[in-house]
Amino acid sequence: MSYNIHIQRQEISALFDLKGPSEALQEWAGKHLPVFPSHPNSKTIKDEMELSFIGRNHWILRAPLSQEQSLAGRLMPESCPSDISIVRISDTLTFFGISGPDAPEVMAIACPLDLHASVFLEGMITYSEVFGIKALVSHYDGGFEFAVEQSFGDMIVDYLNRAIT
Amino acid sequence: MMLIHCPFCGKRSESEFIYGGPVGADRPNPDAVSDAQWVEYLTVTPNPLGPVQEKWWHARGCGEWLTIWRDTRTHDIVEAPENAQ
Ligand SMILES: [Zn+2]
Repeated sequence: MSYNIHIQRQEISALFDLKGPSEALQEWAGKHLPVFPSHPNSKTIKDEMELSFIGRNHWILRAPLSQEQSLAGRLMPESCPSDISIVRISDTLTFFGISGPDAPEVMAIACPLDLHASVFLEGMITYSEVFGIKALVSHYDGGFEFAVEQSFGDMIVDYLNRAIT
Repeated sequence: MMLIHCPFCGKRSESEFIYGGPVGADRPNPDAVSDAQWVEYLTVTPNPLGPVQEKWWHARGCGEWLTIWRDTRTHDIVEAPENAQ
């Protein structure tokens, strides 16, 4: 059977991995970041920056690639205090957008999460699996997005094509 | 498939987790126990017929380590026994 979906491999984003107590991170860089999300696996947005709360004392900041250098200049990863960690990881993840009427069906093949809109609410983001590979999965208006390590990107394209045809 | 409750993420598929072994006894002071007790601590892991406390790692999730009680007769995740520590 074939599915009515649209798959788009996204452009690379600026990504920073933030770890440590939120108070310490906010003290170091809070004025440059969106408000820290309070609920696990949720995100906050300010300007074009998204801050996702993806583990205990663990956040990922995502922004357009054009902001990468200026963000690095403001977050100053190399000189941050020892109780926090800020690492530029823009090159490590590749993002896929899955949209269209059958997007939930195809995501249900790939991912063990309960993706029903009443459980995996719009705006939620979490680490899970896609085709057995660790993936950062999010639900947005009209579809889903997930990110896997760059090196798995071409394989995921192949898996998706097999799943939808 | 089991659904395991992660304290950060909530209920998730077993496939997102890696088994970390049964929860063993606390490490005794090797100078304060007999050789037999020390060998018992090092080599004997809990393997009851019934509820056992296990460590699991939400590796393909948020990264949290957690413990659950699982009944080895039914594979069900159960409440901690009343006499559990
Ligand atoms: Zn978790």
